[in-house]
Amino acid sequence: MTRIDITGDQLVVTMQGMDRFWSLRRRIAVPLSHVRGATADPGVVREPAGVRAPGTHVPRFITAGTLYKDGERVFWNVRGSREPVVIELAEERCARLVRGVDDARATAERVERALIRD
Amino acid sequence: MGRPRSFDEGTAVEAATALFCERGYDGTGVDDLVRALGMHRGSLYQAFGSKRGLWLRALRAHVGGLAGPDDDLTLLLRAAVERAPTDVETAVLVSAGLARIRSTLPADDDLARVLGERLITRAAPRSTIEEDR
Repeated sequence: MTRIDITGDQLVVTMQGMDRFWSLRRRIAVPLSHVRGATADPGVVREPAGVRAPGTHVPRFITAGTLYKDGERVFWNVRGSREPVVIELAEERCARLVRGVDDARATAERVERALIRD
Repeated sequence: MGRPRSFDEGTAVEAATALFCERGYDGTGVDDLVRALGMHRGSLYQAFGSKRGLWLRALRAHVGGLAGPDDDLTLLLRAAVERAPTDVETAVLVSAGLARIRSTLPADDDLARVLGERLITRAAPRSTIEEDR
């Protein structure tokens, strides 16, 4: 299971159970000032994710770990049964996070609400 | 970092506006935007941050360009009905848009009339609209 929470001025992604195993990480914390947006995007998993660095990639079944595409690093963890949410970052090594959650729409709205746009 | 931007943001925002007008915010998926804007998904996220980032850009441009009650108000009406109740930034832009239109009208109550007429026209069955012409 993957949870995305706003804790103080940070966006915290917590992996539990098998999600933790597949993605080789337990927790990612990013300052909210480095978060540019969040979008529920079911179609993101239908595009080629790119070249895999450490992680697991079985197209249409599971994509987890760090992938490179078009010169960008994207940190994935999506399994077939989850709804993908795309979190765009700035000033991080990773261009964006693509995570499978229970309710992508609600998660995206929650993250967007916490952002302060110029 | 990703590749340099090789698209025109203004054109992209216009294409997104057309899509949001036709399908609304929830009805427009990132797949639809990728197709209509002719951009890679990664470039779209890099340019606008999120679907909502693009929506707010489109709405801001629409509101900024409002000159009077005869303009196409589809996006403003969509925003007022669909997003404003749950999205503060959308609500702020909608009130700015309404204020702009009000300022071009002789009296305050004309705004309600203009908006009401737009909704009635929009809701009318297509055949009725054609008969009226």
